[in-house]
Amino acid sequence: MFAFSPPRPSLSPELLATLRPVSLAKSRTLPLGEPWRALVPGAGLRRGSTVVVEAPVGLGGLSLALSLVSEASTQGHWAAVVGVDDPGVVAMAELGVDLRRVLFVPRPRGAWAESASDLLDGVDLLLVRAPSRAAHGAARRLMDRVRERGTVLIALSEPRTPWPLPADLFFRVTQAEWVASSRLDARYLTVRVSGRGEAAQGGEHVVVVPNRRGRAEAR
Amino acid sequence: MEQLLAIWIEPLAQEQPDGSTLRDTLALLDALGALCPFTEVARLGLWVLPLRGPSRFFGGSDAVLRAVRQSVLDVVGVEPLLGVAEGLFCAELAARRALIVPLGASDAFRRAQPLSVLGRKDLTITCQRLGLHTLGAFADLERARVAERFNKHALALHRVARGELSEMEGQRDVRLARRLAQLRGEEDLVEEQRGFFGQRGAGDDRAEAAAHRVRRRLGADAIVVASLRGGRAPEDRATLVPWGSPSVSARDLAPWPGQLTAPSPATTLAHPVPLQLRDAADRPVVMGGRGTLSAEPTAVIFSSPLRREIVWYAGPWPLVERWWSRHSRRAHLQMVLASGEALLVVAESSRWWLVGIYD
Repeated sequence: MFAFSPPRPSLSPELLATLRPVSLAKSRTLPLGEPWRALVPGAGLRRGSTVVVEAPVGLGGLSLALSLVSEASTQGHWAAVVGVDDPGVVAMAELGVDLRRVLFVPRPRGAWAESASDLLDGVDLLLVRAPSRAAHGAARRLMDRVRERGTVLIALSEPRTPWPLPADLFFRVTQAEWVASSRLDARYLTVRVSGRGEAAQGGEHVVVVPNRRGRAEAR
Repeated sequence: MEQLLAIWIEPLAQEQPDGSTLRDTLALLDALGALCPFTEVARLGLWVLPLRGPSRFFGGSDAVLRAVRQSVLDVVGVEPLLGVAEGLFCAELAARRALIVPLGASDAFRRAQPLSVLGRKDLTITCQRLGLHTLGAFADLERARVAERFNKHALALHRVARGELSEMEGQRDVRLARRLAQLRGEEDLVEEQRGFFGQRGAGDDRAEAAAHRVRRRLGADAIVVASLRGGRAPEDRATLVPWGSPSVSARDLAPWPGQLTAPSPATTLAHPVPLQLRDAADRPVVMGGRGTLSAEPTAVIFSSPLRREIVWYAGPWPLVERWWSRHSRRAHLQMVLASGEALLVVAESSRWWLVGIYD
């Protein structure tokens, strides 16, 4: 402050007690559950960012993407799932996704990008599986709107049809291994996490998605 | 109706902007809770507790009244108004007049009250023009006569006047308990992005508007919501209904014996895909009548010429349910393919179907 500005009078403790904030300021990240909290920089999904989950077909990409959604969903955020034809509702519930706050557009036909951007305003997390290779322009427009609206876009892709643009956070499943006794017990996924900023150095982790109770956990 | 002790404290009825009202309410609730654990705050300024139990414990209702008065004086420092009557409606009226209505006299007490205690000006004026001045006169009107003049809220008041309902609508503040729990720190304020105090939040409205937009673009069935119901197999337990259709009642999911255990397939096909299982000699594998396989499956062939080797399988787990239906016998099989994919396959009416992929 200026040299001539008078010293601030100290507030009385009674007055301070009445000035407590009613609620916290809106946070800029969405929470992540186990095991991702320890593996993702910032321990959350930054609003406005794009997350790409890439896995060979049938090797746990969908489970991984849903496990990213689950914690935020439990905490009251809305999510939408676009282009996943036959969602395993029971598996979602086991992963901890709150089904009361999930909207599904299972078969958007040609209009996956349009319905995704329709849903952007209404949900905090948007899980998209593009039907085939996503067009560059559509992906760019979607990511721009996501950044503008503060939603988190989770794009599911396969190595054959990759997401056409670089993502803020990138999960690549390189290996999936089932552990079985008299039934399927757990799946160990080897996941490479990389991205921009703090996530740039990346790292390879082994996580259990799903485990014996259908949840995601660290090994 | 139960005899209630109502405590009316005028200074605590108006909420102060500095939050002191809620803090005092909470402190007094704790103090009165020590006297009688069934004490509740009906709304700001009005406490209620059942009188029968405490009066037996303290030795008479006079002793209870003394103890309550003393504890209010200790905590808030205000002289409270105490009233005893049956039902919350009468108890509050008694408290505002500091009356003790003896057991069984609450009916007469209620019938003698002026109509203005119902808090509906239009009702009061209309009835006064008709020559009805007391609740008793209003209660004697036929229900149909009330219904043809007033709305359903007046009908509820009519039932209160008759003594069929023990309390008026709006006499209790349903959100207060949650606010007190939040103040106590038992419930986290920012835990859920709900509206204030359990109402629909802004997020719910936004999601609804977004769902409307998608529906306009793609048609009524394009956007769906999911819920769970009881059942054994994952394909039975999921319900996907178009958004906006009447909601399926959310039953609490009791344990369901014989359920396929977690993990469940992340992709559950709504329309199962037929496939064939082959054994080492390339003969089809079939399910026997006793739930056994004819041979060990070693390969799976989808309807397209697509053959995959099976490296591990478990099951079959037969389900015999709905014996009255023809397709009642099913058996599930989990398998892992050489490529690393895991599938859930079901045998039904002597064919094999793919129902889930552990994606």
